[in-house]
Amino acid sequence: MSSRRSGSTPRITDEQIIELVSKLQQLLPELRNRRSNKASASKVLQETCNYVRSLHKEVDDLSDRLSQLLSTIDDDSPQASIIRSLIN
Amino acid sequence: MNHCVPDFETDDDYFFSASANSKRHKKSAMGDEDIMELLWQNGQVVVQSQNQRSAGNKKSETMPSTAGREIRSGVIDEETTPSNLFMQEDEMVSWLHYPSDDNSLDLYLHNNDIPYPVLPSSSSAPATTLPSSLPPPPPPLVTVPPTRPPIPPLNRVDEEPSQPKFANFLHFSRSNKRGLAGSGPSSSKQMSQAITQSTVVESNIGCRGSMSSFGGAGTSSAGTGREPETCDVSASSSPGTGGSGASASVEPSSHKPPPATDDRKRKGRDTDDTECYSEDLEFEYHDPKKKSRGSASSTKRSRAAEVHNLSERSDKASMLDEAIEYLKSLQMQVQMMSMGYNMVPMMFPGVQRYMPTMPAMGMGMGMGMGMGMDHIGMNRGMVPYPSVLPGPQMPNSAAAHMGQRFPVPRFQMAQVPIMGPGTGEAANPSDPMMNSFPTQNANQPRVPFLDPYQQCLGLPQTQLAQQQQQQQNQTGMAAVTSKPSSSKDVRYPQRHPTG
Repeated sequence: MSSRRSGSTPRITDEQIIELVSKLQQLLPELRNRRSNKASASKVLQETCNYVRSLHKEVDDLSDRLSQLLSTIDDDSPQASIIRSLIN
Repeated sequence: MNHCVPDFETDDDYFFSASANSKRHKKSAMGDEDIMELLWQNGQVVVQSQNQRSAGNKKSETMPSTAGREIRSGVIDEETTPSNLFMQEDEMVSWLHYPSDDNSLDLYLHNNDIPYPVLPSSSSAPATTLPSSLPPPPPPLVTVPPTRPPIPPLNRVDEEPSQPKFANFLHFSRSNKRGLAGSGPSSSKQMSQAITQSTVVESNIGCRGSMSSFGGAGTSSAGTGREPETCDVSASSSPGTGGSGASASVEPSSHKPPPATDDRKRKGRDTDDTECYSEDLEFEYHDPKKKSRGSASSTKRSRAAEVHNLSERSDKASMLDEAIEYLKSLQMQVQMMSMGYNMVPMMFPGVQRYMPTMPAMGMGMGMGMGMGMDHIGMNRGMVPYPSVLPGPQMPNSAAAHMGQRFPVPRFQMAQVPIMGPGTGEAANPSDPMMNSFPTQNANQPRVPFLDPYQQCLGLPQTQLAQQQQQQQNQTGMAAVTSKPSSSKDVRYPQRHPTG
């Protein structure tokens, strides 16, 4: 973020953005253990992208497994309803 | 000198009108025999008849930005620009080069599917239509076909800071289609600067209205034209980001010649794209601002830049917020799915006690989920217990999942009574649900379940279950997963002798 004057109303400050980035960093498994100041915003964003991608992959994988599981059980069973609820 | 304002309707009217109606409109229709030429001069488009070419009248013409934005092809508005139009020789000469390629210009325009052709078609009297030799009024000036070295017009743009405005913008947008990159980085930079200037001016002028009209007209008329898209993008963008959006959409295209990026940038993805490319645009903004010729437009530009920054910053913050929320929900979803995947196999008869049998309660759900996930976590180490336990932290999706899970426990509960008689634990006064639970749970069914489960999970789980069970009994929490069963089973042997 370039430091530009925010104008009259300080709606969003750079500080807020930095805080948001640190919050995001805390959610990342890789950067969580590091001190917040260690990771730059770009690294945080990069890690976020990678993490979201991996989460998507995991969700797909879990969905596949749940689908397979669903096929093995009776559709009337409560388990089936649970599995269906989990599969998006 | 007469100034004729050609009255031709084009989608580019917006561009033209924004900056200087007069100049564009100067379709040299002033005199039938007098060919008017539009020249850029010191930020102003000067229309001057060829005869007056050498006339050194330099009158800065005010560009009524808000004045008739439309360029009527057939009508010459002489009143639009009271100021005289001047023409500089050098500019004239350079500008003349373009008219020489009228055919190519027409071709270019037609290729671009720009509504420009509308001008000639709609224009009636003014002989200075596109096909005409020199005067192709604003369009040629504005859109120096990128095929031709746009340098002359660009130079002019540079020289006249305040002028370029929409003309350059239009040119820029057109050039984009043709692969502006080809024209050269320098020119593109100039154009980008011009564009930014023009966009700033646009935003200041409140051209949004025109832009929307332009966009509408553009989309209708131009099939493959990029301008309409650009305009649409601008129009669709919020007023605050309108200028920035337009500039952002335009800017990236200039910097990234590949049409794919252009499509990406332009395709109505206003905020997202502007956000993505606003960064680049910011730098561009910086330069023009710094280099701003110190005219009054600089104030406007800075203001627009501020607005842009503000909107951009808020966009960043909102984007970060959204990313955080999305990441949280995604993590929770993965957690839920993994837990479900692990718990479902255990739901089969024989292991159903593991499922929560209590109705959905806020804390109960949390506890249940926490316990379940805790078990899962202990089993697989996937879910950290402390982080999962708190119920309120669970998102709505998890709650929904939990809600859906509850029928299952009930089902199991229904089965339970069938399975075995009350074990005598019905006297548990702490919780009615607990009462039902003990009565329903038979020792035998539960034990087999518990044993393998305990074997799977190990001792700590049992102890934990005991603790949780005790907590639940004391707190009267109803929703408990396997804790009650496990704990009861654990306690059962103890009670057995007593019960």
